[in-house]
Amino acid sequence: MTKLSPSFSRRNLLLGTLQGAGFFLLSGCDKIFDALSRNDKFQSLLELAEHGNRRAQRLLTGRNQLAQEFSAKDISPKFRSNGNPPPITMDYEADAKNQWTNWRLEISGLVQQPARFSLAELKSMPSRTQITRHDCVEGWSVIGKWKGVRLEEMMNKVQPAADAKYVVFRCLDTDSDGNHYYESIDLIDAVHPQTILAYELNDQPLPVDNGAPLRLRVETQLGYKHAKYIRALEFVASLDKIGQGKGGYWEDQGYEWYAGI
Amino acid sequence: MREDPVEAADKSSELLYRHNRVTRVTHWGNALALMILFMSGLQIFNAHPHLYWGSTSEPEKAFFSIAATNEDGDVRGYVDLYGRQIDTTGFLGVQQGTFGPSARAFPSWLTIPTYYSLAGARRWHFFFGWLFALNGLLYVFYNLVVGHMRKFFFTFGDAKKVPAMVAYYLHLRTTSPQEGEYNPLQKMAYTSIFMILTPLVLLSGMAMSPQLNVAFNWLPAVFGGRQSARAVHFILAFGFLSFTFGHVFMVLTQGVFNNMRSMTTGWYRETPPPAIQATQSAPALEPVDAEDLKADADNVQPEVQAPSQTTVRADTTAKPAQAENKSVANSSVQEEEREKNDEVKS
Repeated sequence: MTKLSPSFSRRNLLLGTLQGAGFFLLSGCDKIFDALSRNDKFQSLLELAEHGNRRAQRLLTGRNQLAQEFSAKDISPKFRSNGNPPPITMDYEADAKNQWTNWRLEISGLVQQPARFSLAELKSMPSRTQITRHDCVEGWSVIGKWKGVRLEEMMNKVQPAADAKYVVFRCLDTDSDGNHYYESIDLIDAVHPQTILAYELNDQPLPVDNGAPLRLRVETQLGYKHAKYIRALEFVASLDKIGQGKGGYWEDQGYEWYAGI
Repeated sequence: MREDPVEAADKSSELLYRHNRVTRVTHWGNALALMILFMSGLQIFNAHPHLYWGSTSEPEKAFFSIAATNEDGDVRGYVDLYGRQIDTTGFLGVQQGTFGPSARAFPSWLTIPTYYSLAGARRWHFFFGWLFALNGLLYVFYNLVVGHMRKFFFTFGDAKKVPAMVAYYLHLRTTSPQEGEYNPLQKMAYTSIFMILTPLVLLSGMAMSPQLNVAFNWLPAVFGGRQSARAVHFILAFGFLSFTFGHVFMVLTQGVFNNMRSMTTGWYRETPPPAIQATQSAPALEPVDAEDLKADADNVQPEVQAPSQTTVRADTTAKPAQAENKSVANSSVQEEEREKNDEVKS
């Protein structure tokens, strides 16, 4: 807050310019920010914000509140895809050719009744259809119409144990180093009414680019949580022993596990 | 603290306790937070350097893009606004690296971190977003309670004085319409920062959150959709940047030392109107060299403060210039007293 007077003193201007220049010279700031970005202790300090985001946002959200649903005219002409290229294994291509008749969804881990489901079985269960917006962590958004079976419906069939805290999604796609994609959400998001295992996009069988034959829709979070090419679901009590322990493929590379913002 | 020989010799000027401790601490916290939010925000923008209006980001409908073209190895960066392209090679769109040019919307030196890291930038951004919000709340609550914010709240009365104030700045008018500590333009700037820019930047940021889209369906809608909220958030960031440039320019031209002192220690040197200055300070200037004298003469020129008010405040919050050179302990005790006075007054 400056006291204003229209006099522009030369001495002050000179002093100010010198101070400004000094500031920018001293701003090896760039180097400091980079060093701090690579410092684990400082990063765990910054991660406090992720926990703050999760707690505050969950507090503000009623358990049965729904993400905004759109009408058919809002659907994007093309549903953009991102991430790994589709799986290129022989099995995947053969399964795709056979309309996924050999593909099975395996549900295991801390559940009372482990089970395997064919795509036909999933399609015969009660379904939910929703037109929702997909928000990528990069910043773009697309709207699509999804049909699938609610994850809570599946949980009723396999009966997670009392100590199950997370669902881990095991995927068929890999990165260029052969690491499999995986993701996880907690049971609060798992039972959200709009959390579905989707097998249809815009009234068509789920295209290969968008995660055929089955992908997750978890509308409370950003795109990278929506695991594609799902092979298996695993109910676990802790994420420590899975992958590099951060709860997902992108999480292992520094992205937040809680992607509600 | 540095002692300015000219100021020390000038017995007629007085120190005013201008900024309370909460204001000073939150001011610098805010400065740091805004810088980091801006620079990490640019890094986040780099992940998808296009802006859209509406809910979705249909590729052909971007109204603003920072991009690069490559024609036979001639890599050029450009900014596209509603189809009009401006070549920005060397600054935006393309950056020279060790391995030749690469596409990059905002250059390394403007982003946190300098290297590409969306995950890293998000971590910085959210942490300092919380800091910015909590810091702002602390400032607003404290200064509402002590009554400081009333001093710069822009009213209809102030709005009427804006043309006169602009004329004064443009040297078209010799007297300032200012009454009180802040002039009408300052009030307008600070009030719009608090009442418009800050709430909107926070809301547009939150409107991009999928979880908050569940909690408050209306939130992206008030901006016209999530992508509109993203565009608004980006534009407002530059609103903060231009405010900061204006603010720093004013500090640079209106007395760096005095303003920095008042925002670090709280004490601001008030100079009386030139008439008084001319008669009282002339003998004291003898030992100072001619160059300094001239600069100082510029420095003390027109006085914005209404003389009557200077006198009133001299009774309550001013202390004589000689008292400036005292021990640190002593000064902090006094400062505390001032802080108490400040609270009692309001």
